[in-house]
Amino acid sequence: MVGRELAAFLIEGHSSHIASRNERLEPNAARVTALTVDDDGHHVVAYVPSVSADPVLADLRANGQAAIVVTRPTDDRGCQVKGVFVDARAAGPEDQSLVRAQWDHFLDVLEMVGLPRAATESWIVWPCIAIRIRVQALFDQTPGPGAGAPLS
Amino acid sequence: MTPTLESLAPCWQGLIPATLYTCSRDGVPNAAYLSHVEYVDERHVALSFQFFNKSRRNVAENPQALVRVIDPDSSQCWALRLSLVRSETSGPVFERMDLRIEAIASYTGVKGIFKLLAADIYEVQAIEPVADDVGGVFEAGGEARPGAADARFTMRALQDMTERVNGAACLDVLLDSILAGLEEIFGFRHAMLLVPAEEPGVLVTIASRGYGDTGVGAEARLGEGIVGLVAEARKPIRISGLLRAMLYAHAVATRAQQSGMAPPPRIPLPGLASPASQLGVPLMVRGELVGVLCIESEEPYRFHEEDKASIELLGSYLAIAIQNMQLQERAEADVPVAAVGPAAPAAPPSPVTARPREIVYYEGDELVMVDGEYLIRSLPARILWKLLAIRTRDGRAEFTNRELRLDKSLNLPELKDNLESRLLLLRRRLEQKTPDIRLVPRARGRFALDLGCEVRLRTLP
Repeated sequence: MVGRELAAFLIEGHSSHIASRNERLEPNAARVTALTVDDDGHHVVAYVPSVSADPVLADLRANGQAAIVVTRPTDDRGCQVKGVFVDARAAGPEDQSLVRAQWDHFLDVLEMVGLPRAATESWIVWPCIAIRIRVQALFDQTPGPGAGAPLS
Repeated sequence: MTPTLESLAPCWQGLIPATLYTCSRDGVPNAAYLSHVEYVDERHVALSFQFFNKSRRNVAENPQALVRVIDPDSSQCWALRLSLVRSETSGPVFERMDLRIEAIASYTGVKGIFKLLAADIYEVQAIEPVADDVGGVFEAGGEARPGAADARFTMRALQDMTERVNGAACLDVLLDSILAGLEEIFGFRHAMLLVPAEEPGVLVTIASRGYGDTGVGAEARLGEGIVGLVAEARKPIRISGLLRAMLYAHAVATRAQQSGMAPPPRIPLPGLASPASQLGVPLMVRGELVGVLCIESEEPYRFHEEDKASIELLGSYLAIAIQNMQLQERAEADVPVAAVGPAAPAAPPSPVTARPREIVYYEGDELVMVDGEYLIRSLPARILWKLLAIRTRDGRAEFTNRELRLDKSLNLPELKDNLESRLLLLRRRLEQKTPDIRLVPRARGRFALDLGCEVRLRTLP
């Protein structure tokens, strides 16, 4: 279950990717532009640009296995969410401001660590697919001796 | 155009972290950020293995992996489908990656913790453009977007640099000409030159440009920071995403402290407070390290692969120029004074200060303090103390390099004493810290100790 403090971290707008795998155990991946955490802490929704969602969605529909990594570029605090696919839908206008706000925050942070906005303005953010994942496990992903430890 | 690993060269700089995706044998995917991806050859890359983690366990069970790298010139992201071939803990690929990681670790005080355990070599089975992180220029090897730093090592620029170097009449002018040329011809505004100190394993800053404090006399030890690592490995090091890499290493340091693995104290970063790119080049002549040239930039991706190759070539030329000048100055300084040409016109006297200077020589540490502040140590300190003693005892103000070289009490090395470099270092250090005590060149191998203040000398053990 995602606790309140961790939920607040996940939805700040950081660098995030979702990973899946096909039947040959080959990984696939896509950038996540925004995340939300359900109030119960048992589900997260990953917003993935539609242009790159197909391989991941195909895997998730076939076997359900997902991993989402989130890292804050300013201090490399990181977390990995392991879970199973619940459903996916096209993100609607009601989601767009949330996606834009988290993405903007992420670009601000990238600028702070030396990557100007001009370098990332071509990256495609919208439209998105909202992929809902049931959380099964959480892991600390901050680099260093404790990386990979389960988060309670 | 089908991309090749060669065409993705800018991706290997680590300016934007790569992401690694793996899958366990029982089908659970894993995603992680990665410190370094290194080009090996046209079919292989190496990934840094620094910590035992889930990614490492997964590839041991299932060698298939996916890595996403971003070209900092075009912003295009590329997905590389990989298969683990082997792990290397020695050899050129490991050493190259290790050197870069060591440089970052030494700045953040996590040497021994933030380190390379192995270079994992993967065969690249496919390279695909990523559809979301799409660049302004889609094809690999295409033109960089406007604003990306240009390689500036044109033949004309190298010719201009050569003319400046050839025109220098003494080591003092030569070193300043090199640094001025790097800025005015190539646009590198922050640079420093270090030469081996008398103490083995230590380099000392003899000239710098583009910093508030010249840092003349500042030392770097072998293996510490980019300068020390370049000197130790005798290979150039280029770090482009230094800020990102240091943040990553800093996260490791924080975790290490929390885990009770106390890292050694942080080594102060020389030069810029927050350099985003650094390039260190060993200045070598026939296998001998003449010095290290370190160039810094606040731009994250300032130095390209072509820059490294070009400046390495330029470094070889500069090394020969510096060594030749040192040998020439020594040969000229060894000529008896009577044979030397007329003395230079007297320089304006040092500014006279009413306040006397208290100068203390610590015999045990061989260092000189002026008014309670550190001035210099080692051979330059012994020289200064000798000059001050003669000046205050006998009133003599003029000296020759030759008499210093013959003075057994100074304990100069038998071979390659680098006396002229040490005198230059001392002169520059005095200019910076005590402008009322000056060494003024009078002719080849001849100089004056000019005092614009009363000095009170004291020796302590």
